[in-house]
Amino acid sequence: MGPDAGGATEALLDRARRGDAPAFERLALELERPLYRHAARMLGHDDAEDCVQDALLSAWKSLASFEGTSFRAWVFRIVTNRALDRLRSRRRHPELPLDPPAEDDDSAGWAEPAAPGPELADLASDREALRVVEEALAHIPADQRAALLLRDVEGFAYEEIATITSTEIGTVKSRIHRGRLAVRNILISRGWRGSSG
Amino acid sequence: MHPFGDLSAYLDGALSPETRASVQAHLDACALCRRRLAELRGTARLIAALPAPVPSRSLVPRVSVPVWLAPLRTFSTFASGAALFLFLASAVVSSFPRMTSAGSAPAAAPAPAASALDTRGGATAATSSPNASLSDPEKRAAPAAATASPGAAFNVVTPSPVPAPAERTVTADQAVKTRQDAGSAAPSSDVALAARSERGGDQAPFNPFPWVWLALGVTFAALSFFLGRRLRST
Repeated sequence: MGPDAGGATEALLDRARRGDAPAFERLALELERPLYRHAARMLGHDDAEDCVQDALLSAWKSLASFEGTSFRAWVFRIVTNRALDRLRSRRRHPELPLDPPAEDDDSAGWAEPAAPGPELADLASDREALRVVEEALAHIPADQRAALLLRDVEGFAYEEIATITSTEIGTVKSRIHRGRLAVRNILISRGWRGSSG
Repeated sequence: MHPFGDLSAYLDGALSPETRASVQAHLDACALCRRRLAELRGTARLIAALPAPVPSRSLVPRVSVPVWLAPLRTFSTFASGAALFLFLASAVVSSFPRMTSAGSAPAAAPAPAASALDTRGGATAATSSPNASLSDPEKRAAPAAATASPGAAFNVVTPSPVPAPAERTVTADQAVKTRQDAGSAAPSSDVALAARSERGGDQAPFNPFPWVWLALGVTFAALSFFLGRRLRST
């Protein structure tokens, strides 16, 4: 996913900001799948569709207030905020804090393979490894998951992620590192050796 | 001291130049940090390689559709139903008085379709000779089929108060043919019609109301259909 700096996108955005509804719909159509992918991994499939649709409608209604340069980052911000709001309103998993107390990154443990050695299966090229990653992502705090997905899947820069999630760059850096480390630890615990990914 | 906390940011190119150079220097000398950096890189690649879920429906709000379109479609649907109901109701109601008056005429029953054809021109037929009205059946058939004299269709003694328009047209044409075959024999139905026209043609003229309701019903149904298509297509 590249940045939306294309001339065509800019032209559509100009038209949409002047109230051209079909232009907005074309812009939204380009982002529909990435937004859904992000929301589905944040929320699960059940709520993701409503979340994205609500967010796009909200984007249309408040398009006049958009003053940034990246429409894509702006819409991702709306979707991410809505996804986090929905997660906060859920009471099913109160044991998973959205943003656990800050800790020194170096103190976050680096799990070692339980039984390191050549007999362990290498999960990296296996579909099983991806399943483990999905499972691991679902179990890390939502703020870390949001930052990690925005970085590794959507390719946003740290500065953009700070804007999208309304935080400081230092917090983004910490969330990405801890989230990635948590996923790595779960992979390692399942026998992943980590070097061939 | 290992720069573990900076390895992810190093991987993402998010460190300041100084910190980056420092981490780079450490990595050159530390196998453990190189291994952990490789693990983080592998983790990031796996996350990026996750299969993308696809939505089951379009998530783009149809903002180009005016907000009044959906309510208008609902209104059209109900209006169509109401108009069609009024069409049936008014057709049935308007048929009763005529049934009584037609029933009182001695020879009113023989050709319902023929009377449907003739009611519009009934006055003419009554004032002139009944045979004169048959002199040019082709000419008469066209307007009769086109207008189908709807109100009259319900005024006729007929077991079914709401015949399909197509049936009526065909029946009217057949009636014309029948009468054409009969030639100038002045069939009894014509006599009956002439008599009836003299008696009641003026007091029970063509009643347009059922057909106004039908036209409204069809119009609203068509509107509802096209609005529905518009709502679905955008």
